[in-house]
Amino acid sequence: MKPLNLIAILLFLSGAVWALTRSERTVREIQASYFSAIAPFLKSGSDTEAYARSFLDEVRHSKVLEAELATVNSEMGRLRIVESRYRELERENAQLRHALDFKKATSFNVAAAQVIRRQPTTWWQTVEIDVGDERGIGTQLAVLSNEGLVGIIDRPAKDRSSVILLTDEACQVSAKVEDSPEVGILSGQRGQFEGTPLLRLKFLSKNAVLRSGQRVFTTGRGGIFQPNILLGTIVSVEKGAEDSEALVRPAVNFADLGTVFVVLSQDPPKK
Amino acid sequence: MTRYTLITVLLVLASFVVQQFLPALTGLHHSRILFVQLVFLCAAVTVGQPTMLLLAFVCGFLWDAQCTLGTHGGDPEIYSQPVESLRFGYSILLFGGMGFLMQGIQPLFKQGKWYFSALLSGISIFLYLAAEYLIITFVRGNFSFATATALQMAYTSVLTMLFSPLIFWMLFTIASLCGHSINPEAAKKRRRHF
Repeated sequence: MKPLNLIAILLFLSGAVWALTRSERTVREIQASYFSAIAPFLKSGSDTEAYARSFLDEVRHSKVLEAELATVNSEMGRLRIVESRYRELERENAQLRHALDFKKATSFNVAAAQVIRRQPTTWWQTVEIDVGDERGIGTQLAVLSNEGLVGIIDRPAKDRSSVILLTDEACQVSAKVEDSPEVGILSGQRGQFEGTPLLRLKFLSKNAVLRSGQRVFTTGRGGIFQPNILLGTIVSVEKGAEDSEALVRPAVNFADLGTVFVVLSQDPPKK
Repeated sequence: MTRYTLITVLLVLASFVVQQFLPALTGLHHSRILFVQLVFLCAAVTVGQPTMLLLAFVCGFLWDAQCTLGTHGGDPEIYSQPVESLRFGYSILLFGGMGFLMQGIQPLFKQGKWYFSALLSGISIFLYLAAEYLIITFVRGNFSFATATALQMAYTSVLTMLFSPLIFWMLFTIASLCGHSINPEAAKKRRRHF
């Protein structure tokens, strides 16, 4: 082997080891620099993708109707979330008044966003939305649609953010099943890109008695997701030797994500 | 030679820009054209080993900067079995491996048989995706391999490979403009023929 080639291999391996041993903070800094350098092209790229998508949609709708519909949908989704929150607050308030005569002040603030890119990477189920640092978006904020939980913010940039979808294996959510004491961890399944992906609810009790159609909600435990956000409905239950697992159909139609809402502030999640 | 090397590095950087305009094709099992990988593979066969390794490092580093996910976070008492993320930098080694594979048939390329390299670029992309999938499985456990995943890998490889003649044409043009021959034996043969 030529000495130059040997030196090149050694340098290459040293570089790879250096990269592999970077801390998460350093990696985030590298990513921030990369995305800030490539930002103008990302915007053009997502604009092209959005344009292509809207061109296809235009076959069915006129542009004016589409814009009106998007605005109405956006407003309706926001109001639904606010309404559901108010209902929950009402119930909570009644309970607290009854038990302790105690009134708790809460605030609920969401930022509406549009999905501008779908699945920019090969293996991860992610989307990009058009709000970022500028609108106060940080990491690990819950992202909702008017149907339920969409995912979690992974990497906010200046005017865009990456969202890990609930259908990705890496997005874990502490979940409970309605009318049942069962709680577990819900996550996506690997390699499910086609059709309606099913989620897997793990760590249920060995003899979990669940029926198809029961709804699954967030527990609010774990410090990330607020409680009582709809996740999906039970499809089937698989009994194991030590615990049971359930397949869950997500409440959100991930193939048709348009407007989403990032929860900026809410009651602090339970630890 | 130096000018050509410099331009291949710039070409690889430009491929990251082009990649932003290439979305996943939902109708074809979410396959996509992996333009960065393609440019790297085609360039790898036209340069020496040190330059190939430099390109592999640049590509792997930037690809991971683009794709790496953060950790889940949350209360470890609740999320006691977090899903492992792939370490930043693993792509550097994958790109290096693909580069060595392409350089394995460099003698054929130098004889002017670029189509073997074009074919191998498709195979390399498939192996690259398979290796990535295996690494994910190794790190996270629970081996599962759906037909849709295999089709996604196959369509991605074929779609990407279809563009390799275009990249080789670009590389030949750049080499010619730089006064550098990337397939010297074929050039000698042509000269003898005329």
